[in-house]
Amino acid sequence: MADPVFFELLHAQIVKYVEERQTKDTDLSSLDTIGFTCGYKIIERLTRDWPKFKDELEIVKFICTDFWMAVYGKQIDNLRTNNQGLYVLQDNMFRCLNKIAIGKEHLQVAPLYYTFTCGLVRGSLANLGVHCVVNAEVQNMPSVKFHIQVNRL
Amino acid sequence: MVKIYNLYIFNNAGTLLHYAEWNRTKQSGITREHEAKLMYGMLFSIKSTNKYALHFYETPTGTKFVLNTDSTAGKMTEFLKNLNSQIFVEYAVKNPMVDLSQPIKNDLFSAKLDAFIKGSSLYVS
Repeated sequence: MADPVFFELLHAQIVKYVEERQTKDTDLSSLDTIGFTCGYKIIERLTRDWPKFKDELEIVKFICTDFWMAVYGKQIDNLRTNNQGLYVLQDNMFRCLNKIAIGKEHLQVAPLYYTFTCGLVRGSLANLGVHCVVNAEVQNMPSVKFHIQVNRL
Repeated sequence: MVKIYNLYIFNNAGTLLHYAEWNRTKQSGITREHEAKLMYGMLFSIKSTNKYALHFYETPTGTKFVLNTDSTAGKMTEFLKNLNSQIFVEYAVKNPMVDLSQPIKNDLFSAKLDAFIKGSSLYVS
């Protein structure tokens, strides 16, 4: 496995690049799209030796364990669901934020650093057949809660 | 056991990136900025005295660490090397919010630096 520092530095630069080029203050959609494409493709590679998933919950659990371990070197710390398509994944030491601050400092830049991951999760789930919307919230750096809302027909 | 007084971190252009003190017995009576400039100038004409030891470590990229301690300290190269790799590289270089051409204003960096110094077996307050 490659040294995680390469992804860290590259991701930070991608965020800076997008930040400098956005025309409106809160337009982070390009970061989300980049994440989506990456997620869509990487999930193919990550699940190539796996059998078909039983149900939606198994897929989300896979994201919390093997997927998060492969991408961020750790597992999701807490998973909650309302069993109706809403999942909350909590990472208390999110790798894209843990070098920036602890507590409330720099809280306003947190969205810049979790948007790529939101896209990543959305893309991975999309290729596994789960279509959803992924958002996140940060109350204390570097702890992030990712909200996955699955589109139920 | 070593008594650590204070630490200066300079970038390759001579800007003071960070200053922290743990046991400073005397203030110099001049501004921090002025003192940092003098310290940087002094780096090139240091004389060892009986009163304190000044430890200097420079990385290949020109980042300079200046650490003052009492004279019981031995060679602190390993210590400063670890300071660089575990603290400076992790929380300053890898931190997207830190601009390395300016003084570092980041609570996490200060906290980690403090924890590193205090947690090291060499520290005596």
